[in-house]
Amino acid sequence: MELPYVVVIILFYLGIYTIIMNKNLIKIVVGVNIVESSLILLLILISFKLGGTAPILDRKYELVVDPIPQALALTAIVIGGSLIAVMLALVIKIYKRYGTLNVDEIRKLRG
Amino acid sequence: MTGGKVVIYVILNMLMIFLLFTAFFAVFTKNLLNSIITLAIFSAILIVIFVILQAPDAALAEAVIGAGLTLTFFVITINKTKDWQNE
Amino acid sequence: MSRVHKIFRKFYKIGLVLFLAIFLLFIFDEIQNLDIKRYLSEHYISEGVQETGAINLVTSVLYDYRGFDTLGEATVILTAAATLSFMTPIKKVKMLGTEFTIIIYQTIIIIIPFLVVLGMNLIFFGHISPGGGFVGGVILAMIPILVTINYGITFSENKLKPNHKSLLEGIGAIGFILLGLLGIFAGSNFLASGQANFGLGNPGELISAGLIPYLNLMIGIKVGAGLAAIFNSLIKEG
Repeated sequence: MELPYVVVIILFYLGIYTIIMNKNLIKIVVGVNIVESSLILLLILISFKLGGTAPILDRKYELVVDPIPQALALTAIVIGGSLIAVMLALVIKIYKRYGTLNVDEIRKLRG
Repeated sequence: MTGGKVVIYVILNMLMIFLLFTAFFAVFTKNLLNSIITLAIFSAILIVIFVILQAPDAALAEAVIGAGLTLTFFVITINKTKDWQNE
Repeated sequence: MSRVHKIFRKFYKIGLVLFLAIFLLFIFDEIQNLDIKRYLSEHYISEGVQETGAINLVTSVLYDYRGFDTLGEATVILTAAATLSFMTPIKKVKMLGTEFTIIIYQTIIIIIPFLVVLGMNLIFFGHISPGGGFVGGVILAMIPILVTINYGITFSENKLKPNHKSLLEGIGAIGFILLGLLGIFAGSNFLASGQANFGLGNPGELISAGLIPYLNLMIGIKVGAGLAAIFNSLIKEG
Protein backbone atom coordinates (compact mmCIF):
# COMPACT_ATOMS: atom_id res chain seq x y z
CA MET A 1 0.00 0.00 0.00
CA GLU A 2 1.55 3.26 -1.07
CA LEU A 3 1.30 6.47 0.90
CA PRO A 4 -0.74 8.58 -1.61
CA TYR A 5 -3.72 6.20 -1.51
CA VAL A 6 -3.71 6.30 2.30
CA VAL A 7 -3.65 10.11 2.12
CA VAL A 8 -6.69 10.03 -0.19
CA ILE A 9 -8.61 7.86 2.27
CA ILE A 10 -7.68 10.05 5.25
CA LEU A 11 -8.69 13.23 3.40
CA PHE A 12 -11.99 11.72 2.27
CA TYR A 13 -13.00 10.67 5.76
CA LEU A 14 -11.72 13.91 7.28
CA GLY A 15 -14.19 15.69 5.01
CA ILE A 16 -17.01 13.27 5.89
CA TYR A 17 -16.22 13.74 9.61
CA THR A 18 -16.40 17.54 9.17
CA ILE A 19 -19.74 17.32 7.39
CA ILE A 20 -21.20 15.09 10.12
CA MET A 21 -19.75 16.59 13.30
CA ASN A 22 -19.19 20.32 12.72
CA LYS A 23 -21.83 22.83 13.75
CA ASN A 24 -20.82 25.74 11.53
CA LEU A 25 -22.31 25.89 8.04
CA ILE A 26 -19.20 27.40 6.42
CA LYS A 27 -17.09 24.64 7.96
CA ILE A 28 -19.44 22.10 6.38
CA VAL A 29 -18.80 23.68 2.98
CA VAL A 30 -15.06 23.43 3.71
CA GLY A 31 -15.58 19.71 4.36
CA VAL A 32 -17.33 19.28 1.01
CA ASN A 33 -14.39 21.03 -0.67
CA ILE A 34 -11.91 18.65 0.96
CA VAL A 35 -13.91 15.60 -0.14
CA GLU A 36 -13.94 16.86 -3.72
CA SER A 37 -10.21 17.51 -3.68
CA SER A 38 -9.49 14.01 -2.38
CA LEU A 39 -11.53 12.44 -5.16
CA ILE A 40 -9.76 14.52 -7.82
CA LEU A 41 -6.43 13.42 -6.34
CA LEU A 42 -7.60 9.80 -6.59
CA LEU A 43 -8.44 10.26 -10.29
CA ILE A 44 -5.01 11.73 -11.01
CA LEU A 45 -3.31 8.92 -9.06
CA ILE A 46 -5.17 6.29 -11.08
CA SER A 47 -4.05 7.93 -14.32
CA PHE A 48 -0.37 8.00 -13.34
CA LYS A 49 2.11 5.45 -14.66
CA LEU A 50 5.70 5.36 -13.46
CA GLY A 51 7.95 6.93 -16.09
CA GLY A 52 5.12 8.26 -18.22
CA THR A 53 4.92 11.70 -19.79
CA ALA A 54 2.05 14.17 -19.85
CA PRO A 55 -0.58 13.50 -22.57
CA ILE A 56 0.67 16.20 -24.96
CA LEU A 57 2.25 14.38 -27.88
CA ASP A 58 4.37 16.96 -29.65
CA ARG A 59 7.46 14.78 -30.06
CA LYS A 60 8.62 11.19 -29.62
CA TYR A 61 7.24 9.44 -26.58
CA GLU A 62 7.61 6.07 -24.95
CA LEU A 63 4.92 5.88 -22.28
CA VAL A 64 2.00 8.28 -21.82
CA VAL A 65 -0.20 8.59 -18.75
CA ASP A 66 -3.90 7.80 -19.07
CA PRO A 67 -5.82 10.81 -20.51
CA ILE A 68 -9.38 9.73 -19.62
CA PRO A 69 -9.20 10.20 -15.79
CA GLN A 70 -7.52 13.58 -16.35
CA ALA A 71 -10.43 14.75 -18.50
CA LEU A 72 -12.82 13.55 -15.79
CA ALA A 73 -10.78 15.43 -13.17
CA LEU A 74 -11.01 18.64 -15.20
CA THR A 75 -14.78 18.24 -15.38
CA ALA A 76 -14.98 17.56 -11.65
CA ILE A 77 -12.95 20.66 -10.76
CA VAL A 78 -15.12 23.04 -12.80
CA ILE A 79 -18.39 21.55 -11.56
CA GLY A 80 -17.08 21.65 -7.98
CA GLY A 81 -16.44 25.39 -8.25
CA SER A 82 -19.98 26.19 -9.34
CA LEU A 83 -21.40 23.77 -6.75
CA ILE A 84 -19.55 25.56 -3.95
CA ALA A 85 -20.83 28.92 -5.23
CA VAL A 86 -24.43 27.68 -5.01
CA MET A 87 -23.87 26.25 -1.52
CA LEU A 88 -22.37 29.52 -0.25
CA ALA A 89 -25.28 31.51 -1.68
CA LEU A 90 -27.63 29.22 0.27
CA VAL A 91 -25.54 29.83 3.42
CA ILE A 92 -25.92 33.60 3.00
CA LYS A 93 -29.66 33.13 2.49
CA ILE A 94 -29.94 31.06 5.68
CA TYR A 95 -27.96 33.65 7.65
CA LYS A 96 -30.21 36.47 6.47
CA ARG A 97 -33.29 34.51 7.52
CA TYR A 98 -32.23 33.01 10.87
CA GLY A 99 -29.39 35.29 11.99
CA THR A 100 -27.01 32.45 12.88
CA LEU A 101 -24.80 29.86 11.25
CA ASN A 102 -25.08 27.19 13.95
CA VAL A 103 -26.91 24.11 12.73
CA ASP A 104 -28.45 23.21 16.12
CA GLU A 105 -29.85 26.70 16.66
CA ILE A 106 -31.33 26.76 13.17
CA ARG A 107 -33.03 23.44 13.86
CA LYS A 108 -34.42 24.80 17.15
CA LEU A 109 -35.64 28.03 15.57
CA ARG A 110 -37.49 26.25 12.82
CA GLY A 111 -39.42 24.00 15.24
CA MET B 1 15.21 3.77 -9.91
CA THR B 2 17.80 6.40 -10.72
CA GLY B 3 18.77 9.31 -8.49
CA GLY B 4 16.36 11.88 -9.91
CA LYS B 5 13.38 9.57 -9.58
CA VAL B 6 14.17 8.90 -5.91
CA VAL B 7 14.25 12.64 -5.23
CA ILE B 8 10.89 13.15 -6.94
CA TYR B 9 9.43 10.23 -4.96
CA VAL B 10 10.63 11.69 -1.65
CA ILE B 11 9.29 15.15 -2.57
CA LEU B 12 5.92 13.65 -3.52
CA ASN B 13 5.58 11.88 -0.18
CA MET B 14 6.59 15.01 1.73
CA LEU B 15 3.98 17.03 -0.14
CA MET B 16 1.37 14.42 0.80
CA ILE B 17 2.26 14.92 4.47
CA PHE B 18 1.97 18.70 4.07
CA LEU B 19 -1.42 18.17 2.41
CA LEU B 20 -2.60 16.28 5.49
CA PHE B 21 -1.28 19.03 7.81
CA THR B 22 -3.10 21.80 5.95
CA ALA B 23 -6.32 19.80 5.72
CA PHE B 24 -6.34 19.04 9.46
CA PHE B 25 -5.55 22.68 10.29
CA ALA B 26 -8.35 23.90 8.01
CA VAL B 27 -10.84 21.59 9.72
CA PHE B 28 -9.86 21.99 13.37
CA THR B 29 -8.98 25.68 13.70
CA LYS B 30 -11.48 27.94 15.44
CA ASN B 31 -11.10 31.04 13.28
CA LEU B 32 -13.02 30.82 10.00
CA LEU B 33 -10.72 33.19 8.12
CA ASN B 34 -7.67 31.09 9.04
CA SER B 35 -9.51 28.00 7.87
CA ILE B 36 -10.25 29.47 4.46
CA ILE B 37 -6.77 30.83 3.84
CA THR B 38 -5.40 27.39 4.74
CA LEU B 39 -7.79 25.86 2.22
CA ALA B 40 -6.16 27.99 -0.50
CA ILE B 41 -2.74 26.70 0.60
CA PHE B 42 -4.18 23.16 0.42
CA SER B 43 -5.12 23.81 -3.20
CA ALA B 44 -1.65 25.21 -3.93
CA ILE B 45 0.04 22.04 -2.63
CA LEU B 46 -2.41 20.00 -4.69
CA ILE B 47 -1.26 21.91 -7.82
CA VAL B 48 2.37 20.88 -7.26
CA ILE B 49 1.29 17.27 -6.77
CA PHE B 50 -0.66 17.34 -10.04
CA VAL B 51 2.37 18.68 -11.90
CA ILE B 52 4.56 15.93 -10.46
CA LEU B 53 1.94 13.34 -11.45
CA GLN B 54 2.02 14.62 -15.09
CA ALA B 55 -1.41 16.25 -15.25
CA PRO B 56 -0.85 19.86 -16.42
CA ASP B 57 -4.45 20.45 -17.50
CA ALA B 58 -5.89 19.51 -14.13
CA ALA B 59 -3.17 21.57 -12.42
CA LEU B 60 -4.11 24.70 -14.37
CA ALA B 61 -7.80 24.24 -13.65
CA GLU B 62 -7.13 23.66 -9.96
CA ALA B 63 -4.89 26.75 -9.81
CA VAL B 64 -7.51 29.00 -11.30
CA ILE B 65 -10.64 27.58 -9.68
CA GLY B 66 -9.54 25.89 -6.47
CA ALA B 67 -7.04 28.47 -5.28
CA GLY B 68 -8.47 31.61 -6.87
CA LEU B 69 -12.19 31.64 -7.42
CA THR B 70 -13.28 29.51 -4.46
CA LEU B 71 -11.26 31.67 -2.06
CA THR B 72 -13.07 34.76 -3.38
CA PHE B 73 -16.44 33.13 -2.87
CA PHE B 74 -15.60 32.09 0.69
CA VAL B 75 -14.31 35.56 1.61
CA ILE B 76 -17.45 37.20 0.22
CA THR B 77 -19.59 34.79 2.27
CA ILE B 78 -17.69 35.53 5.49
CA ASN B 79 -17.97 39.24 4.84
CA LYS B 80 -21.71 38.90 4.33
CA THR B 81 -22.38 36.78 7.41
CA LYS B 82 -20.13 38.57 9.92
CA ASP B 83 -20.04 35.44 12.09
CA TRP B 84 -16.30 35.28 12.34
CA GLN B 85 -15.68 33.07 15.34
CA ASN B 86 -16.59 29.43 15.20
CA GLU B 87 -19.09 29.35 18.05
CA MET C 1 -26.44 1.45 31.56
CA SER C 2 -27.15 5.07 30.73
CA ARG C 3 -23.44 5.90 30.91
CA VAL C 4 -22.71 3.26 28.33
CA HIS C 5 -25.53 4.65 26.25
CA LYS C 6 -24.09 8.17 26.50
CA ILE C 7 -20.61 7.06 25.50
CA PHE C 8 -22.10 5.08 22.66
CA ARG C 9 -24.02 8.14 21.43
CA LYS C 10 -20.87 10.19 21.57
CA PHE C 11 -18.62 7.83 19.69
CA TYR C 12 -20.77 5.97 17.21
CA LYS C 13 -20.32 8.59 14.49
CA ILE C 14 -16.54 8.49 14.82
CA GLY C 15 -16.64 4.69 14.89
CA LEU C 16 -18.76 4.61 11.77
CA VAL C 17 -16.33 6.89 9.97
CA LEU C 18 -13.35 4.74 11.04
CA PHE C 19 -15.10 1.54 9.97
CA LEU C 20 -15.86 2.96 6.54
CA ALA C 21 -12.28 4.18 6.22
CA ILE C 22 -10.91 0.69 6.85
CA PHE C 23 -13.45 -0.71 4.38
CA LEU C 24 -12.26 1.75 1.71
CA LEU C 25 -8.64 0.86 2.49
CA PHE C 26 -9.25 -2.74 1.40
CA ILE C 27 -11.03 -1.58 -1.76
CA PHE C 28 -8.10 0.65 -2.70
CA ASP C 29 -5.68 -2.15 -2.05
CA GLU C 30 -7.62 -4.25 -4.57
CA ILE C 31 -7.73 -1.38 -7.10
CA GLN C 32 -4.00 -0.87 -6.84
CA ASN C 33 -3.16 -4.54 -7.37
CA LEU C 34 -5.68 -4.97 -10.18
CA ASP C 35 -3.83 -5.23 -13.49
CA ILE C 36 -6.32 -4.26 -16.17
CA LYS C 37 -5.46 -3.62 -19.79
CA ARG C 38 -6.97 -0.22 -20.59
CA TYR C 39 -7.82 -0.75 -24.26
CA LEU C 40 -9.78 2.49 -24.69
CA SER C 41 -6.92 4.59 -23.33
CA GLU C 42 -4.43 2.79 -25.53
CA HIS C 43 -6.60 3.47 -28.55
CA TYR C 44 -6.83 7.16 -27.65
CA ILE C 45 -3.07 7.40 -27.14
CA SER C 46 -2.05 5.61 -30.32
CA GLU C 47 -4.74 6.90 -32.71
CA GLY C 48 -5.92 10.13 -31.09
CA VAL C 49 -3.60 12.52 -32.88
CA GLN C 50 -4.46 11.14 -36.31
CA GLU C 51 -8.19 10.94 -35.62
CA THR C 52 -8.77 14.37 -34.07
CA GLY C 53 -5.76 16.50 -35.07
CA ALA C 54 -5.25 17.81 -31.52
CA ILE C 55 -1.97 16.90 -29.83
CA ASN C 56 -3.35 17.60 -26.34
CA LEU C 57 -5.10 14.34 -25.64
CA VAL C 58 -7.15 15.69 -22.74
CA THR C 59 -8.66 18.31 -25.06
CA SER C 60 -9.33 15.70 -27.73
CA VAL C 61 -11.13 13.51 -25.19
CA LEU C 62 -13.13 16.44 -23.81
CA TYR C 63 -14.20 18.09 -27.08
CA ASP C 64 -14.19 15.32 -29.66
CA TYR C 65 -14.64 11.82 -28.28
CA ARG C 66 -16.78 12.85 -25.32
CA GLY C 67 -18.13 16.20 -26.52
CA PHE C 68 -21.59 15.32 -25.28
CA ASP C 69 -20.32 15.20 -21.68
CA THR C 70 -18.87 18.68 -22.07
CA LEU C 71 -22.29 19.90 -23.19
CA GLY C 72 -23.75 18.41 -19.99
CA GLU C 73 -21.09 20.15 -17.92
CA ALA C 74 -21.90 23.47 -19.56
CA THR C 75 -25.54 22.84 -18.68
CA VAL C 76 -24.56 22.41 -15.02
CA ILE C 77 -22.88 25.82 -14.98
CA LEU C 78 -25.90 27.36 -16.73
CA THR C 79 -28.17 25.83 -14.08
CA ALA C 80 -26.02 27.19 -11.24
CA ALA C 81 -26.03 30.69 -12.73
CA ALA C 82 -29.80 30.54 -13.26
CA THR C 83 -30.40 29.36 -9.68
CA LEU C 84 -28.28 32.13 -8.19
CA SER C 85 -29.90 34.79 -10.39
CA PHE C 86 -33.30 33.52 -9.30
CA MET C 87 -32.40 33.87 -5.60
CA THR C 88 -30.96 37.37 -5.92
CA PRO C 89 -33.11 40.39 -5.06
CA ILE C 90 -33.52 43.01 -7.76
CA LYS C 91 -32.84 46.02 -5.52
CA LYS C 92 -29.44 47.62 -5.24
CA VAL C 93 -27.34 46.52 -2.28
CA LYS C 94 -24.42 48.56 -1.06
CA MET C 95 -21.21 46.63 -1.07
CA LEU C 96 -18.36 46.02 1.34
CA GLY C 97 -17.26 49.45 2.46
CA THR C 98 -13.60 49.03 1.65
CA GLU C 99 -11.40 51.89 0.51
CA PHE C 100 -8.10 51.14 -1.22
CA THR C 101 -5.17 53.39 -1.99
CA ILE C 102 -4.52 54.84 -5.43
CA ILE C 103 -1.77 52.27 -6.03
CA ILE C 104 -4.25 49.45 -6.17
CA TYR C 105 -6.65 51.32 -8.44
CA GLN C 106 -3.92 52.12 -10.95
CA THR C 107 -2.47 48.58 -10.80
CA ILE C 108 -5.83 47.05 -11.67
CA ILE C 109 -6.07 49.24 -14.78
CA ILE C 110 -2.63 48.05 -15.90
CA ILE C 111 -3.30 44.38 -15.14
CA ILE C 112 -6.57 43.99 -17.07
CA PRO C 113 -5.15 43.91 -20.67
CA PHE C 114 -2.67 41.23 -19.64
CA LEU C 115 -5.48 39.15 -18.18
CA VAL C 116 -7.38 39.41 -21.48
CA VAL C 117 -4.30 38.29 -23.42
CA LEU C 118 -3.65 35.39 -21.03
CA GLY C 119 -7.24 34.18 -21.17
CA MET C 120 -7.42 34.38 -24.95
CA ASN C 121 -4.07 32.61 -25.26
CA LEU C 122 -5.26 29.77 -23.05
CA ILE C 123 -8.50 29.47 -25.04
CA PHE C 124 -7.05 29.54 -28.57
CA PHE C 125 -4.04 27.34 -27.81
CA GLY C 126 -6.15 24.79 -25.95
CA HIS C 127 -5.58 22.00 -28.44
CA ILE C 128 -1.79 22.26 -28.62
CA SER C 129 -0.85 23.12 -25.02
CA PRO C 130 -2.33 22.79 -21.52
CA GLY C 131 -5.29 25.02 -20.95
CA GLY C 132 -8.54 25.10 -22.85
CA GLY C 133 -11.91 26.72 -22.71
CA PHE C 134 -12.64 26.20 -19.04
CA VAL C 135 -9.42 27.68 -17.66
CA GLY C 136 -9.39 30.58 -20.12
CA GLY C 137 -13.02 31.34 -19.40
CA VAL C 138 -12.37 31.49 -15.67
CA ILE C 139 -9.46 33.89 -16.22
CA LEU C 140 -11.73 36.10 -18.34
CA ALA C 141 -14.29 35.96 -15.53
CA MET C 142 -11.62 37.27 -13.14
CA ILE C 143 -11.78 40.71 -14.82
CA PRO C 144 -15.34 41.65 -13.72
CA ILE C 145 -14.54 40.18 -10.29
CA LEU C 146 -11.48 42.42 -9.87
CA VAL C 147 -13.41 45.48 -11.08
CA THR C 148 -16.27 44.71 -8.71
CA ILE C 149 -14.04 44.23 -5.69
CA ASN C 150 -12.07 47.39 -6.32
CA TYR C 151 -14.58 49.89 -7.65
CA GLY C 152 -17.85 48.65 -6.20
CA ILE C 153 -20.89 46.92 -7.61
CA THR C 154 -22.51 50.05 -9.08
CA PHE C 155 -19.54 50.93 -11.30
CA SER C 156 -19.15 47.32 -12.39
CA GLU C 157 -22.80 46.96 -13.36
CA ASN C 158 -22.60 50.20 -15.29
CA LYS C 159 -19.66 48.94 -17.31
CA LEU C 160 -20.93 45.40 -17.93
CA LYS C 161 -24.65 45.02 -17.46
CA PRO C 162 -26.07 41.72 -16.09
CA ASN C 163 -28.26 41.42 -19.17
CA HIS C 164 -25.17 41.42 -21.35
CA LYS C 165 -23.62 38.65 -19.26
CA SER C 166 -26.76 36.55 -19.74
CA LEU C 167 -26.66 37.29 -23.47
CA LEU C 168 -23.00 36.21 -23.70
CA GLU C 169 -23.76 33.01 -21.81
CA GLY C 170 -26.65 32.29 -24.16
CA ILE C 171 -24.45 32.94 -27.20
CA GLY C 172 -21.90 30.45 -25.86
CA ALA C 173 -24.47 27.72 -25.23
CA ILE C 174 -26.31 28.19 -28.53
CA GLY C 175 -23.04 28.39 -30.46
CA PHE C 176 -21.85 25.13 -28.94
CA ILE C 177 -25.06 23.37 -29.98
CA LEU C 178 -24.98 24.89 -33.49
CA LEU C 179 -21.38 23.76 -33.96
CA GLY C 180 -22.51 20.32 -32.86
CA LEU C 181 -25.33 20.35 -35.40
CA LEU C 182 -22.73 21.09 -38.09
CA GLY C 183 -21.58 17.51 -37.64
CA ILE C 184 -25.06 16.22 -38.48
CA PHE C 185 -25.21 18.35 -41.64
CA ALA C 186 -21.89 16.88 -42.72
CA GLY C 187 -23.43 13.45 -42.52
CA SER C 188 -22.00 12.23 -39.24
CA ASN C 189 -22.93 12.25 -35.57
CA PHE C 190 -23.80 15.12 -33.23
CA LEU C 191 -20.63 16.98 -32.10
CA ALA C 192 -18.38 15.01 -34.45
CA SER C 193 -15.35 16.87 -35.73
CA GLY C 194 -12.77 14.19 -36.36
CA GLN C 195 -15.17 11.67 -37.90
CA ALA C 196 -16.70 14.29 -40.20
CA ASN C 197 -13.30 15.44 -41.59
CA PHE C 198 -13.55 19.17 -40.92
CA GLY C 199 -10.09 20.04 -42.25
CA LEU C 200 -7.91 18.43 -39.61
CA GLY C 201 -4.71 20.06 -40.91
CA ASN C 202 -1.26 19.37 -39.55
CA PRO C 203 -1.24 18.39 -35.89
CA GLY C 204 0.60 21.01 -33.84
CA GLU C 205 -0.41 24.10 -35.81
CA LEU C 206 -2.81 26.77 -34.60
CA ILE C 207 -5.38 26.30 -37.38
CA SER C 208 -5.90 22.59 -37.11
CA ALA C 209 -7.99 19.99 -35.32
CA GLY C 210 -11.24 20.80 -37.12
CA LEU C 211 -13.94 22.19 -34.85
CA ILE C 212 -12.02 21.96 -31.56
CA PRO C 213 -10.73 25.60 -31.40
CA TYR C 214 -14.21 26.99 -32.08
CA LEU C 215 -15.78 24.71 -29.49
CA ASN C 216 -13.08 25.91 -27.09
CA LEU C 217 -14.00 29.52 -27.83
CA MET C 218 -17.71 28.88 -27.22
CA ILE C 219 -17.03 27.08 -23.93
CA GLY C 220 -14.69 29.90 -22.87
CA ILE C 221 -17.31 32.58 -23.50
CA LYS C 222 -19.94 30.54 -21.74
CA VAL C 223 -17.92 29.67 -18.65
CA GLY C 224 -16.55 33.20 -18.29
CA ALA C 225 -19.96 34.86 -18.54
CA GLY C 226 -21.55 32.23 -16.30
CA LEU C 227 -19.00 32.56 -13.49
CA ALA C 228 -19.13 36.37 -13.68
CA ALA C 229 -22.92 36.18 -13.35
CA ILE C 230 -22.57 33.78 -10.40
CA PHE C 231 -20.17 36.16 -8.64
CA ASN C 232 -22.43 39.12 -9.35
CA SER C 233 -25.40 37.31 -7.83
CA LEU C 234 -23.37 36.18 -4.82
CA ILE C 235 -22.22 39.70 -4.03
CA LYS C 236 -25.71 41.18 -4.37
CA GLU C 237 -27.22 38.47 -2.17
CA GLY C 238 -28.85 39.73 1.00
